[in-house]
Amino acid sequence: MNKKFWYLTKLSFNKKVKSKWFIVTNVILLIAIVALLNISSIIEFFGGDFENNTNIIVVDNANAYQLFEENLNVYAEDENFEVSTANDDIDSIKESLEDNQLVIVLNSDEVEYLKAELISNDKIDNLTYQIILQALNSTKTTIGMINSNIDPEILANISASITIDRTILNEEATTDENMDMVMSSIFPTLILPFFMLIVFLVQMVGGEICEEKTTRSMEIIIANVSPKAHLMSKVLASNLFVILQGVLLIIYCVIAYLVSLSLGGDSLGFDISSIFGMINSSGLTNTLILVIPITLILIILSFVAYALVAGILASMTVNIEDFNQLQTPIMLISVAGYYLAIMSAMFDGSIFIRIISYIPFLSVFISPTLFVLGQITIIDVIISVVILILFIYVLLKFGLRVYKAGILNYSSGKVWSKLFKAIKE
Amino acid sequence: MLKVENITKKYGENVAVNNLSFTVDAGEIFGLLGENGAGKTTTFRIIMGLIDANEGKVTLDGKKIDYSETDNIGFVTEERSLLTKLTVQEQIEFYGTLKGLDKDTIDKRLDYWLEKFEITSYKNRKIKELSKGNQQKIQFISAIINEPKLLILDEPFTGLDPINVKLMKDAIYYLKEKGCSIIFSSHQMEYIEDFCEKLILLVKGNTILDGKLDDIKENYAKKNIMIKGEDIDISAIKKLKGVISVEKTRGELEVKIANKEVAPKVFNIIKNSNITKYDVVSPSLNEIFIASVGGIHE
Repeated sequence: MNKKFWYLTKLSFNKKVKSKWFIVTNVILLIAIVALLNISSIIEFFGGDFENNTNIIVVDNANAYQLFEENLNVYAEDENFEVSTANDDIDSIKESLEDNQLVIVLNSDEVEYLKAELISNDKIDNLTYQIILQALNSTKTTIGMINSNIDPEILANISASITIDRTILNEEATTDENMDMVMSSIFPTLILPFFMLIVFLVQMVGGEICEEKTTRSMEIIIANVSPKAHLMSKVLASNLFVILQGVLLIIYCVIAYLVSLSLGGDSLGFDISSIFGMINSSGLTNTLILVIPITLILIILSFVAYALVAGILASMTVNIEDFNQLQTPIMLISVAGYYLAIMSAMFDGSIFIRIISYIPFLSVFISPTLFVLGQITIIDVIISVVILILFIYVLLKFGLRVYKAGILNYSSGKVWSKLFKAIKE
Repeated sequence: MLKVENITKKYGENVAVNNLSFTVDAGEIFGLLGENGAGKTTTFRIIMGLIDANEGKVTLDGKKIDYSETDNIGFVTEERSLLTKLTVQEQIEFYGTLKGLDKDTIDKRLDYWLEKFEITSYKNRKIKELSKGNQQKIQFISAIINEPKLLILDEPFTGLDPINVKLMKDAIYYLKEKGCSIIFSSHQMEYIEDFCEKLILLVKGNTILDGKLDDIKENYAKKNIMIKGEDIDISAIKKLKGVISVEKTRGELEVKIANKEVAPKVFNIIKNSNITKYDVVSPSLNEIFIASVGGIHE
């Protein structure tokens, strides 16, 4: 029986890996990931400029150019601005103004100290506008204070950024404000492939069982291997497949990174070292050492649970349309888990999200997220793992009865009533 | 030898098979007949170990049929059970491996049977590209690739033309000669009459007829008289007590009678006519089947 189990597993795995759609999908994924992570190099190659500089031409009628330039540099940080004073009169500048150029006319005002006029060919983006607005406001404040004869040393102290000493009383709270950046930028990116893999997994297990059932080859297969061995071979093969796909995605990212290095090192759409810096400054490094292994366990167990449910449901159907209807609730549950994980920072400390993090199918998305956020402890994550293991045990105990009865049942009765009848029997 | 002893299978209140018993010896072809829903598929599934009977037992050569024994069984299902996206070779290797065979043995036997069925060129073709008849041949090969001790054939001739029916019949006789026990099920009674020495007729799970084909026919009370001739007084025959019907078939008169005692009375009426044939025969299995299941003679 063992030999037949491994044969079925190998056959099912090879069928997926050697299929044309798998090869095509992976070629597309590789190209897409390499292209996405090297988008600026590609744009530059075609003559564009991803990091398009904005040229700000200042017509300084208020003798405030130097102050404005200093303030702009402070607020602009990573944004690319080139500032210069105007050499021509305003009408000539307007006539020859290009799309990446802005004109700021600075005028003195007796009441408001400084007034400005902003001229551009088109609407400017919100970030650029906000940076210019902040720089102008700071310039105005400084001019106001100078005009009020405030001592330059006091003025410097007023202008300097405030120093904040942080004390967090909750020892388990590892979060700080950088965490919002991590959650909003990195986490959805990391969790999306996992969500996609679950969709793959459910469709593969269900599709394959449905195919064997609708072609009636199930009767021949089940006559030679037990339903348990048959189901477990599908679960194992599909899990190996999604793990392989996950590893391939990581390899594609590494290839993309190496390509970016060979293209000059700064062609990624983001700076990897800054992400590591962000994680480090959040105090997340120690948390990640704990959370990564336990998340991997949760992921593998969840894959098994999803595959088992997909297989059991597929056994009750008589055609692929029935299965498509039955898999909808599983898909909705995983979508809910995905969004709850992304939004979990909003539920800070609520009992609701804590309980949700224990629920199988959802725990894999939410539990590690809450742990990283410091909203739950490692004990809570372990509880999620234990609940998931118990859930898999129950699935095997009752689900196998359903599977055994279902795979040879071709009656057109309602699927759910067939399912409960099989559990009772 | 297959031995089915007093098996009963219930689905809730519904009795699918009721106290069914029969044996199939090595090298014997056994007919299992019944209308749709009579319990044939349930019986096959119990024999294959796919479902458990509520009562009774099934043994093959004295051993209970479980996963260690199913490698010795072949099954041609009524509906085609092939994975149509596979090639012929992949399909047979798949089922053959599930029967515990190694690749070399499967390939050797596959080549032999493909040649026997005159379809060697289809070895690497996808099953969905084959005609229904050729798919049926592949299904048959997949069931016998393990050289089974027990072969279950459920409507094996579906989709086959007369030439291919002949090829498959020869294959079935070949397996019989090699000592395979064969259970044969078909709605086409002429095949059952051709093949089976013993049979069982199931109606709603109950055994209605059971025994050797010749005995069943012999013991069946109703007979047919085949008459050929001229100036026959048909109306007089029809009026006779015990005559069920008189029909013209292929230039002959077929007189159905309630029992063989009526035959001399019919002969008395026609003896002075110009007759060239008078033959009292047992009814066909088809008639016995219809009469037993629904009642053509009633």
